[in-house]
Amino acid sequence: MKNARVFFTKDGACKYISHLDTNRVMLRAIGKSRLDIWHTEGFHQHAYITFALPLSLGFASTCESMDFRLLDDNADMSAIPEMLNACLPAGIRVQRCVEPKYKPADIDSAAYAVAIEPMNAHDISLEELYTKLNDFLNQSAIIVEKKTKKGKKQVDLTEYILDCSTDFDENILLTLRLPAGSTLNINPSLLIGAFAEYCGVELHSDMTRTGIFTKEGKPFE
Amino acid sequence: MYPKEIEKYLLKVQKPGRYVGGELGEVIKDKHDVDVRFAFCFPDTYEIGMSHLGIKILYSLFNEKPYIWCERVFAPWIDMEAEMRAHDIPLYALESGDPLTDFDFIGFTLQYELSFTNILNMLSLGGIPVLSRDRHDLNHIVVAGGPCACNPEPITDFIDIFFLGDGEEVDLEVIELYRECKRDGKSRAEFLRLAAQIPGVYVPSLYDVSYNDDGTIKSVIPRDGAPEKVEKRVIMDMDSCYYPDNFVLPNIEIVHDRAVMEIFRGCIRGCRFCQAGFLYRPVREKSIDRINEECHALCRNTGYDEVSLSSLSSSDYTQVVPMLKKLNSWAKPEQVSLSLPSLRVDGFSDDILDEIKTVRKSGLTFAPEAGSQRLRDAINKNVFEDELINTCRVAFEGGYTTVKLYFMIGLPTETMDDVAAIADLGKKVLDTYYSVENRPKGKSPRVTLSASSFVPKPFTPFQWEPQDTMDTLREKQQHIKASIASKKISVSKVTYNYHDTDTSFLEAVFARGDRKLNKAMLLAHQRGMRFDSWSDCFSLQNWLDVFAECGIDPAFYANRRRDFDETLPWDHLDYGITKDFLKRECERAYASQTSPNCREGCMNCGMKKYGGGVCYEKR
Repeated sequence: MKNARVFFTKDGACKYISHLDTNRVMLRAIGKSRLDIWHTEGFHQHAYITFALPLSLGFASTCESMDFRLLDDNADMSAIPEMLNACLPAGIRVQRCVEPKYKPADIDSAAYAVAIEPMNAHDISLEELYTKLNDFLNQSAIIVEKKTKKGKKQVDLTEYILDCSTDFDENILLTLRLPAGSTLNINPSLLIGAFAEYCGVELHSDMTRTGIFTKEGKPFE
Repeated sequence: MYPKEIEKYLLKVQKPGRYVGGELGEVIKDKHDVDVRFAFCFPDTYEIGMSHLGIKILYSLFNEKPYIWCERVFAPWIDMEAEMRAHDIPLYALESGDPLTDFDFIGFTLQYELSFTNILNMLSLGGIPVLSRDRHDLNHIVVAGGPCACNPEPITDFIDIFFLGDGEEVDLEVIELYRECKRDGKSRAEFLRLAAQIPGVYVPSLYDVSYNDDGTIKSVIPRDGAPEKVEKRVIMDMDSCYYPDNFVLPNIEIVHDRAVMEIFRGCIRGCRFCQAGFLYRPVREKSIDRINEECHALCRNTGYDEVSLSSLSSSDYTQVVPMLKKLNSWAKPEQVSLSLPSLRVDGFSDDILDEIKTVRKSGLTFAPEAGSQRLRDAINKNVFEDELINTCRVAFEGGYTTVKLYFMIGLPTETMDDVAAIADLGKKVLDTYYSVENRPKGKSPRVTLSASSFVPKPFTPFQWEPQDTMDTLREKQQHIKASIASKKISVSKVTYNYHDTDTSFLEAVFARGDRKLNKAMLLAHQRGMRFDSWSDCFSLQNWLDVFAECGIDPAFYANRRRDFDETLPWDHLDYGITKDFLKRECERAYASQTSPNCREGCMNCGMKKYGGGVCYEKR
């Protein structure tokens, strides 16, 4: 038995598959691909797969990962992406399959690319929105209410923004790195929500997770 | 692919995965390469529509033809509808993202009467005129099939063509005719007139209906050479009938997320309340080899680890145990579990239980339908109390602790004693549990009694019967409740559910309605009514207001006893069942007299004329 980790992208229609449904889609793809993986041995036996870091509904990603155990020690990992891709919807593409280098608990931060536009084009011009975005990010504190398991609490997002840059070409693009993982996780929609409130207009944002990193700042492999 | 402009709104609605397509198995073609575009519409949400077997069969069948591109359309939930209406986004098909106006055919499946308003709503959301008479060119042909097409009279103003019976052949014949008419530059009217000549095709606009003073039907007269009676289509050889070897695999969870294998069509039983049991006659089985082959391919191609062996009464398959054994020869090693839905009380045996035993030992569900033997005889359920008790014993010994029992109230000839017997039966099942020596330890048993309200349906022996009034039905529901209490059955061990009488009443109105109801349907649509089968949206008062405004008395349809010689709104449609047979069965019901099932003896229902199936089985 050997551990395997596949990296996959999630885009297009598949952005709208929730984490729970992604799990279901993956299980069915593994069943269809006849990939021989370890099943749980309890009362409800099922193929055992885990995801390092769940992705919110509506987010695209270039760096998702899923772990499982191959029953055959000599299995050819390089053949796995193609096997799975034949059994997955077009919006999910497995890029590679490797032996895991880090544990999911090593995950410390994630990078996002967020394209922002007003929900209604006549509410605000992109130029004005871009200026407001930079003003917003330059504030000394950005206080938002974060829902946690213990209830709501006030947090200052500026304390958590690890990297941040803005760009305005055809669209407004915000590039971010935020804490991620099981202990502290900041969802970029918190920041976008605060920004929408700051501008007083309804915004539409197109979010993509572009990288997942360990404490040492290395890409999660 | 979904239209780009909806992306902005998708995250504002529940379950956006309903509206984007992009599933594995969806069929994408180039619209320039096809002659006919068919929008297959299911008038309910994605999760329900995607669970429906008929759409899976016809979607694959149509798309096998290089000249047809069939796509799927579902009713958007109210939150999405609001976004679409606010931003002028027309209803689109999931494969191409193109609006309904780009399609030659807009086809609906009629599974239940309470989805009728969704049809009108979907047409209007798609930018298609809801009334047939407002559609003029040879395109946007609105067609419909499915069980409710057996009395489509309440929606004849909106639908151009109804398909009666099995759709696999007739649908393609009509599509082919359309293709020819299009090529020859024929008009819409010419196409409809020609379509009416195809057996199984009902073009309602070619029939004039007149009424007597009392509101009953005087006559139905065909025009332009349309047949006097439209006869349903039947596919006799199930082994040569098309069956898909793959499904569109939903990305989000749907109601029935598993492989489905149809093992036979029809039902031998003849329960007198059951419309499907008469509409789909005669029973036609698929061979074990064919089932085995198709089922294995389906599981391999879809990746599902569960397959449902579907029919109206799966344990009535002549060789059910050999079939299960054969399937398990590959299903077990491949970790695929088999399930038999619609198990009859008397069809449940140790042998079957061994083959379908799954890791998830949840509950078992049976439908005795009536509490007393007398009433079960009157409805021809042919289930005996000792059979039920024995079956429950087998189940309890096999480790089950939860039993669900389904009943109907408001059945013809029912008395309050029959109603109270439902509670008695629940108590007896519970007692059975405690009488089983090796019952599962450490778990409390649970018996759920569920009572729904009977709705008389066309083409059944009860098609002439009045439905109980809502007051009577509520009284009966309370009587069951009171009877449970007086039996000192622990409330924690017996649950009693009952269904809304309001929706059953509306269902009864439309099930046996006539063309006068079209007016109410249109007004209801104009008032924004839809999703009547959802408690979130249904309001009986809104419907009563609509009926009042249209001068329609809903009780005329729901609660009136018809004479045997009254012309019924569906009399010009022929499902092979003779009216004489239905009359005889109705009279036997009055005498609480059962009838044998098709394998025990023939009651001459009229199906022999199809020359096959159970009528000609060797016995």
